[in-house]
Amino acid sequence: MGSLSVLELAGLAKRYAGFEFGPVDLAVGEEVLCVLGPSGSGKTTLLSLVAGLVTADAGSVSLDGRSLDGLPPERRNAGVVFQDGALFPHLTARENVAYAATDEGRVADLAALLELDDVLDRRPATLSGGERQRVALARTLAADPDVLLLDEPLSSLDAPIRRRLREDLHDLFAALAVPVVYVTHDQRTATALGDRLAVLREGRLEQVDTPRSVLERPATRFVAEFTGCENVYEVPVVGSGEGVVRVRLGDATLRVRSATAKPTSGATVTACVHPSRVRLDGAVGALDGPSAPDQSFPGTVRRWLDEGDQYRVVVALDAGVDLAATVSPATADRLASLDGAAVSVAIPPDAVHVLS
Amino acid sequence: MHPTRSRSESTGRRAGVDWLSVSFLLGALLCCYYLLPVVALVVAQPPGVVLARLGDPTVVSAAATSLVAALASATLAAVFGLPLAYWLARAEGRARTLVTALVVLPLVLPPIVSGMVLLTVVGPTTLLGSLAAANGVPLTRSLAGVVLAQTFVASPFVVVTATAAFEGVDPRLEAASRSLGKRRLTTVRRVTLPLAWPGVLAGVTLAFARSMGEFGATVMLAYYPRTMPVQIWVSFTTLGLDAAFPVAVVLVGVAVVTLVVLDRLGTTPWGR
Repeated sequence: MGSLSVLELAGLAKRYAGFEFGPVDLAVGEEVLCVLGPSGSGKTTLLSLVAGLVTADAGSVSLDGRSLDGLPPERRNAGVVFQDGALFPHLTARENVAYAATDEGRVADLAALLELDDVLDRRPATLSGGERQRVALARTLAADPDVLLLDEPLSSLDAPIRRRLREDLHDLFAALAVPVVYVTHDQRTATALGDRLAVLREGRLEQVDTPRSVLERPATRFVAEFTGCENVYEVPVVGSGEGVVRVRLGDATLRVRSATAKPTSGATVTACVHPSRVRLDGAVGALDGPSAPDQSFPGTVRRWLDEGDQYRVVVALDAGVDLAATVSPATADRLASLDGAAVSVAIPPDAVHVLS
Repeated sequence: MHPTRSRSESTGRRAGVDWLSVSFLLGALLCCYYLLPVVALVVAQPPGVVLARLGDPTVVSAAATSLVAALASATLAAVFGLPLAYWLARAEGRARTLVTALVVLPLVLPPIVSGMVLLTVVGPTTLLGSLAAANGVPLTRSLAGVVLAQTFVASPFVVVTATAAFEGVDPRLEAASRSLGKRRLTTVRRVTLPLAWPGVLAGVTLAFARSMGEFGATVMLAYYPRTMPVQIWVSFTTLGLDAAFPVAVVLVGVAVVTLVVLDRLGTTPWGR
């Protein structure tokens, strides 16, 4: 790893009444690792263990080869940004940022970087949610942490402020030369900010990989469903050859490009298709991009939802299964008039992922 | 939608009674019962008599003893009570429950019984009492005795009030401070204590007021030097009620100032 800073967790575990965290093994370099999981999956526990706010039952945490085990929080130099900022209410924004700053110049630099100049002399109670998080971030960065830990810092913000701050965070992280662990239950934030995702479920890591890989090749059914890949089917294998596996989807046969998995005929596998990877063609012609269906399945639009930036369409395939697809509003404009009408669903073989 | 509300409304209408007014009336009677004797006491005493009596050396001496002892007791209660309050606010489990019960014990014990149990530890014939007396610090019939009695009875006010104040400080603020490299003591000094300050001060004020008025335990441990409550009792038993009134007026004054201070502490300056 050379001089790159690395955060390493080895066999890290913590037991609570009714909840068991870990054991978790994880290495984070100078990158942004987004820990994604539902509430109660142990995301905050993970951060607390690294920051030393909670004592581990087993395992170890090290930073750049230096063991943090047994060290109190103040000697770990692990910066934490809490969910709603956890700003000191009796101090002004400036005093908050200066709380752990080494010199006054640092406060000014961070105020400029995070656009805080106008709010520096105000108390946290008078700040907006977005301003509070910027102050919290500045306060944490002022201490020059060796690792940055963020606990859902955007979750309580309104959508426009959240988007804006997400973009700022993205740029900020890129300029930081320390490991960043960012905890969230929001898949969009995780994929937008993370160089890698770690999906946590009931205190254990289900998958650690790039956002693309996690979305397109989820390791488990849980990861698939949690990241929005709701088309998950238990399907029998009917044949295989030359990197292609044929599975039975309802009454139809689905060809799946499979480089890694080589299931034997007759076995049952779990296959998933991300809604964004399927294409809808209407009876009136291609609806969504050029029509190149190397395998298409006829079906009927069962229902559709306008999600604002995209439409979610559920199609009842004639083969006897339901399949969700997301389409652009432009496509949906034409589909809307076809409510309940016949469509053709194109599923490229490499859009289907077989869970191992 | 609001089953509780509609039920009480319909009940009220059926009975034809406005229960809010009734409860206000009952409460008002109680308030009169609090206020009348205090007003009567102050009104019944001509200011000239009170002022004249206040110049009496025995009264001056009693006031000085009370003030010095109560200040010492409140300080002791703060020095030992605040750390305990902080521990109670952050601890969990059975130990916390037991310690809380122990802290409340002096509050529920009759003060005179508190004085008795203290005598079994610091009385002149006990090991501790005789040892201290031999070294020139008698623990009974002395200012030290007054302070011991007052601290025993008044310090729970500091612990109970400050515990609530410390519990009101979000532990995440302490976590934030410590993750910013500040040790626990620094964190308490710069974050927890400033935030809990109104409650802490309220507790110390209550302890001071309770010390000023302490009689039962004090009279058991230290009949001399006389504090104001003991002086009132002596005046009352030897000369009658009228002789005891002026000092009582002074104590009522102390109580009123305490209330004003507590009211001021009720508001936090940073708006949360």
